[in-house]
Amino acid sequence: MASRKIYKKLLFYLGIILIILFMTIPVYILFRVSFAVPEDVLTSHPKFFITRFEFKHWQQVFNSGNLWPPLYKSFIVATFTMIFALVISAPASYAISRFDKKIKYAVILSLFFTRMFPNVGIALPISVTFLKWNLTDKNIGLIMAHLIEQLPFIAWILVSTFETIPFDLEEAASIDGAGRIKTLLKVVLPVAAPGLAVAAMFTWLNSWNEFTYALYLSLSTKTLPLQIYYYVLRGGFFQQAAYSTILTIPVLIITFALQRYIRSDYLGGAIKG
Amino acid sequence: MKFIKKHYFEILLVLPLSAYILGFTILPIIKTILLSFHDKSTGALGFSTYQYLFSKKDFNMAIINTVAVTLVGLTFQLITGLFIAMSLKTDFKGKGLVRSLVLLPMGVPTLVSGVTLLYIFGTQGYLNELLFKLGIITKPIAWTSGGIKNIFVIAIADSWKVLPIVVLLLLAGLESIPSDVYEASAIDGASKSQTFFNITLPLLKPSITMTIILRAVDSFRIFELPKILAGRVTPFLATYAYDEYAYNNANASAAASTILLMIIVIFMILYFKFVDKGGVEYGK
Repeated sequence: MASRKIYKKLLFYLGIILIILFMTIPVYILFRVSFAVPEDVLTSHPKFFITRFEFKHWQQVFNSGNLWPPLYKSFIVATFTMIFALVISAPASYAISRFDKKIKYAVILSLFFTRMFPNVGIALPISVTFLKWNLTDKNIGLIMAHLIEQLPFIAWILVSTFETIPFDLEEAASIDGAGRIKTLLKVVLPVAAPGLAVAAMFTWLNSWNEFTYALYLSLSTKTLPLQIYYYVLRGGFFQQAAYSTILTIPVLIITFALQRYIRSDYLGGAIKG
Repeated sequence: MKFIKKHYFEILLVLPLSAYILGFTILPIIKTILLSFHDKSTGALGFSTYQYLFSKKDFNMAIINTVAVTLVGLTFQLITGLFIAMSLKTDFKGKGLVRSLVLLPMGVPTLVSGVTLLYIFGTQGYLNELLFKLGIITKPIAWTSGGIKNIFVIAIADSWKVLPIVVLLLLAGLESIPSDVYEASAIDGASKSQTFFNITLPLLKPSITMTIILRAVDSFRIFELPKILAGRVTPFLATYAYDEYAYNNANASAAASTILLMIIVIFMILYFKFVDKGGVEYGK
């Protein structure tokens, strides 16, 4: 009996170890390749463990001049997408959270359904229209395209944030004679601020990683994900790894800093990353 | 009028968001659907674009591949996800660390997860090396050269990326099951497997429904991973739609997108009709 228990426990830990290996090894390999000596990995028998480092690929990446324009474009687009998404979605989410329960449910469900449309189906007419409006390759065009996905996403999160703020708080303010806009800015906004910040950061990440719309709307300029894709097509073995590492670093940091905020109702908006 | 007067403030707040979604999501989708029913050269209404699509082998393959990758991926994700979620619910040493490590793929962009799996599943990749070292194979296997192997590679890549989300969704469901239900079943002398199939699974159904719907829709639309891991050898609906667009064939691209939309809608209807008669519960 006792030995069977130990046997079971061993099996359990073995399962856990296998899962951890499955989850972590790909990330390890990415970092490993970006620092690898070519003979160690570019063979039919790649070495798994790191025995020596080489920074040549990194130097090439930083000196080639191919890094800064896409990095800059990705950063600008992600930041402005985040700002616009907040400005447009936050007031709307506040109003939705104060709706009658039935209407609220209907609105939330329709937000949910707009997220189910295939983005290639939306990107096609958008790219045709933006070509006409001369927005292709422009940052503002890409920001507008990213808002298509990010507005429902952030609204979904923010509705549940505003829901947790008790209505009594606003009533008290209005009894004290504050107008509705003043109540919103002085009472609701400060309480909601942490939730807004978390939602904003996830929006930033989604836009930073976004690939589909960027592919449809870029002819000569590149975002960081497009740059990675370009090296995948060209077979740039080490550039792939280095650029991927650069793209990953902010995502990894922000995701783990916000780990405890990732609640399951956030996932309803599906954090794709 | 009275309604507008009373609620002008709320309407003002919601207006920009609604206008944006209407103009940049609903309208484009309608445009795409309309475009798919127009003939490319004559512009006449009809099904000629669809006839063209279904006569192409690549497109039929794309439908099969898309459905296959969803089935394989979802099955793997649900089983593995459930195992991880259940183990994270029990207490053991180092649980916090394990939880953090399981969430690791969440911090890796989808595109990047495709690139890393390229290093693993490449012909000169680490999986072949592992199999070689274990003495299972003598010649490297071309994992990403198309066919059924490629479906599995993409399903695994997709699963790796989304497992954290699946685990968190299921874990939230598990944690919402009150512990006295388990106590009662233990008192009644239920075995572990009885408890699992008669208590855990039925009570977990809302979470499982949520997971399946979110995951299936994302999986039908799969785009980045095949773009990185399969190139043009294994078409999927979304990548096929892009290819047609890239060849300047907007009508065919629109038709492929419309079919993708149809598949998503049909899946949802079938799922709610036959599998789960409830609804999506918001905020579970």
